[in-house]
Amino acid sequence: MKLVMKFGGTSVGTGENIRYVADLVTKYAKKENRVAVVVSALAGVTNNLIEVACQAKKSDEKRIQTFTAELLKKHTEAISTAITSKQIQKEVTQIIEKTIAELEKVLTGICYVGELTPKSKDYVVSFGERLSAPIVWGAIKDLKFETQCFTGKEAGIVTDSNFGEADPLMNFTTHLIRERLSPLLEKGVIPVVTGFIAANQDGIVTTVGRGGSDYTATILGVALEVDEVWIWTDVDGIMTTDPKIVPSARMLPQLSYQEAAEMAIFGAKAMHPRALGPVIKENIPVRIRSIFHPENPGTLITKKANAKVTEAVKAVAMIKDVAMLNVNGAGMVGAPGSYAKVFDVLGKNNINVMMISTAASEANISMIIKRGLLGRAISNLEIALLERGGIVSEVSAEDDVAVIAVMGANMKGTLGVASRIFSTVAKNGINIRMIAQGSSELNISFVVKEKDGIAVVRAIHEEFNLDKI
Amino acid sequence: MRIILVGYGVVGKGVTTILARRYAEKVKDYGFNPKIVAIADIDGAVIDPRGLSPEKLEALKQTRPISSDPEFGHPEMSALDVIESVEAEVVVEVTPVNIKNGEPALSHITKAFKTGKHVVTTNKGPLALAMPALTELADYNNVYLRFSGTVGGGTPMLEFAKRCLAGDRILAIRGILNGTTNYILTEMSQNRVTFQEALSNAQKLGYAEREPSMDIDGFDTACKVVILANWILNKKITLKDVDRTGIRDVSLQALDEASKRGNTIKLIGSIDGDRPTVKPTEIPKTNPLCVSGVLNAVTFSTEFAGEQTLVGRGAGGVETASAVLRDLLDIRHKLANRLLNNNSES
Repeated sequence: MKLVMKFGGTSVGTGENIRYVADLVTKYAKKENRVAVVVSALAGVTNNLIEVACQAKKSDEKRIQTFTAELLKKHTEAISTAITSKQIQKEVTQIIEKTIAELEKVLTGICYVGELTPKSKDYVVSFGERLSAPIVWGAIKDLKFETQCFTGKEAGIVTDSNFGEADPLMNFTTHLIRERLSPLLEKGVIPVVTGFIAANQDGIVTTVGRGGSDYTATILGVALEVDEVWIWTDVDGIMTTDPKIVPSARMLPQLSYQEAAEMAIFGAKAMHPRALGPVIKENIPVRIRSIFHPENPGTLITKKANAKVTEAVKAVAMIKDVAMLNVNGAGMVGAPGSYAKVFDVLGKNNINVMMISTAASEANISMIIKRGLLGRAISNLEIALLERGGIVSEVSAEDDVAVIAVMGANMKGTLGVASRIFSTVAKNGINIRMIAQGSSELNISFVVKEKDGIAVVRAIHEEFNLDKI
Repeated sequence: MRIILVGYGVVGKGVTTILARRYAEKVKDYGFNPKIVAIADIDGAVIDPRGLSPEKLEALKQTRPISSDPEFGHPEMSALDVIESVEAEVVVEVTPVNIKNGEPALSHITKAFKTGKHVVTTNKGPLALAMPALTELADYNNVYLRFSGTVGGGTPMLEFAKRCLAGDRILAIRGILNGTTNYILTEMSQNRVTFQEALSNAQKLGYAEREPSMDIDGFDTACKVVILANWILNKKITLKDVDRTGIRDVSLQALDEASKRGNTIKLIGSIDGDRPTVKPTEIPKTNPLCVSGVLNAVTFSTEFAGEQTLVGRGAGGVETASAVLRDLLDIRHKLANRLLNNNSES
């Protein structure tokens, strides 16, 4: 099998973990598999880099020295446990030292210029992966496997110049990756590629933004025409719900791309929809599996969901930190353009609306937004639309609510799903504040008081026998 | 509309009283829903992003310092911290006046501008010293600066000239713009008491400060002249451009002699083409400007509409706070247009 394996920040969080990752990779490489590896930065490093870059911007030069010293310590510690051969240790340490010296120069530059553009920010965060990948490479080499280390740029990932959120020029990228990595892969060399970072056509470092290293993995997977992309993580796979809420939550063995994307939006610990983009087109399966339980097959994400599932509902999630915003006004009834005004005001204030519902009577719109944006939303709606004889007579809100999202591709066309969901909620004596279902029918979302959220998730999980999947 | 109140003295308390009173009516009649999300003064701040309730606002008047409030108090936060970090549309700046360097109000106002917040102030200091600079900064940051409480207290002198006389040309502005000095001069001429006696009466009644120079040396009037000249006549002047004489040297004898001519002496601030001036001036008792006691009056001489005189109380916590409410409504109106029409003209 030809595989791309991606390891996240926790998987390469310490020297021991990196050693373990190297063991895992080589174990699969031994069994006639061809493996390419994508790694994230060491846990926490990317955030630290962003933080120190922001401080550098405020001309805090002293902080740079202490930061780079800490960074060097962290990585040399990892090297000493991940790699046993003194020779390789030395080799990797030299790379790390050289890279950190470069970082120090970059940060000092930012400090003097006093500005941090998206371009320079991308350059700074790229150091996280540039420091982790050589250690993973060293650990694999230590196990006597042939391996070679690449930055995203060196591997051939070419993106547009949308710094901070760059998208690959997929055909060009494929062309370069096939030229540079495919021959190595065929020879049994294990390429280790930095996740998250790439470069534009001029060779300037970019990052792929949301989706991160997973995105890099799927890009590589498509370019190398692999059989599967494996996302190694610290959970067993995608679950029917948050196991902290329902201890009997089960791992879902199989999902469609569409379902996986839907669940990511609702905060299931899964992949960002952006990262799924490349593989959906080429129909390459993605497997999410646990680094701690490599014996488990994890969740396989493919084009079609498994047809054998009996229940229409596959997962239920609770989204917290949201607020319900209600805009009331008899003046909105039958008045074309009145909703547009409401959403226009919110849009101008950069407020994203996550969920909407409105009755055919038209006198009320309910919306779900991030809780932290509630104050701004209410204030601006009132300023713009509340007036005597105007379209809006009241703007009210509830900030103690949670959204419950019930998902599953088989819900489409299955009769009675909504009825079962709502009667389950009613049986528990819980009031539903708001309901929405998109015409894709992949999910039904509704709003309850936050204090009831856990009970609702548990009840629905039970009703649809999600603990028996 | 979310409001940060900076300064919690007489005017600050007046603002909370006015905003809390007849609250439902304001929402219904004006579609105006003011929420005070923070109050900051010299001893710290109280912050509630949902808006402090009327009951809380009432209780805070008795709390000292306000930041000791167990629920919402932040003793460690300065007004600048609050302006920078608390989300709000408008900062209401009502700290004490300082005409030496305008601080701390000047910093509060510029910080508000930089963080994209509109400003309503009743503080003459920053305006008298730096009005052309402040109006430019406000424009540049695309925010509004309103200050109708600085001139005439609750009497809408600035808006009258700017709005009601729109289209006409204002040729001159003359006015009794300071209630304290007017009270002293009225006492002297009507009850024949000396300047010193009249001043101490005024101090007893709370019309004059213990350190009365701001009023009796004409600084307060001069500040108002600066604001009128900038706002209404587009003259880019500051306090140092005003010729200023106070009332310390007005004698009973001079008042008597003026009285014989059917006149009296008032501290008049005027702008009429030449240098803006503040000085004790003899005017006929029949002049509409000739008001007594703590009243203020201003006459606008216009090209077409002739002379218009506005009379009203020029100071007081609630009176000045009513000007703040007017300014808030004005800003709300402008913001609504901006949000709905996608334009940002002021």
